[in-house]
Amino acid sequence: MNKNNFFSELLFAWEETYKKGQLTLWIFLALSDGKKYVDEIKTFVEEQSNHTMTCESQSLYRNLRKYQHIGVVDYETGEGNKGPDRKYYYLTELGQSLLNSFLDRNIKLFFSEHIKHLINREG
Amino acid sequence: MKVFTKSLIFFSSGLLILTVLFRFSLSAMLQNQYFRSVWIIAALYGIMLFIIGWVFGKKDYQELPLYDIGFRFHFATYLICNLVAEIWYLLGYQSDYEKITVVHLTTLFWGIGIILHFIFFLITRKNAIKGMNKDDIFE
Repeated sequence: MNKNNFFSELLFAWEETYKKGQLTLWIFLALSDGKKYVDEIKTFVEEQSNHTMTCESQSLYRNLRKYQHIGVVDYETGEGNKGPDRKYYYLTELGQSLLNSFLDRNIKLFFSEHIKHLINREG
Repeated sequence: MKVFTKSLIFFSSGLLILTVLFRFSLSAMLQNQYFRSVWIIAALYGIMLFIIGWVFGKKDYQELPLYDIGFRFHFATYLICNLVAEIWYLLGYQSDYEKITVVHLTTLFWGIGIILHFIFFLITRKNAIKGMNKDDIFE
């Protein structure tokens, strides 16, 4: 195995582990941006993550059902594009609070000056 | 929490049909003294039961991964199998070679199994939020 292959393999292995558990965050961020139906959530997640995150519609529906069940997401029906009505999902008050707390505790850490400096350091 | 999901209702309906067919075949075969072939329908019944349990259980889990699916399906199986058997005897459809005590004993011992499963269900409930295992909520 040459050095480049080894490096790629290590990077992919780390990314695979890192991505686990991120879908929820991306879905919540998509809904924090406004009410969306499943295809719009999918597009948001893939575009905003620079296509490092991919998700199937089935997987999104399954997740949204779970979030709805625990009361962090709800939906309202709206007109579809020449088809049946669409479900427009949104974060409930509980969902928005949960996202805010999660961001405060886990994501905003990366915005401290020291960490930003470390992330931006090259070589 | 929804107890009677669509999958559980389909499973229970399938189970009821299979159990009645099984009881009918069993009694008919025993009555006609096909003692050596009885295991075939018992095995077929077991396999079919496993398949429909697997299919509808999985479907239920994919719909919403509630931690109590296993118990609900088990309890439905216990109720239907034993009720059909008891009613079968009550109506006098059994063969001359079947004894009601076997049905009562099955209900009793299986009932102990159900109680143990229920205890396990209560223990695992502590690890759940609104009926979902904490590990299954976020992905």
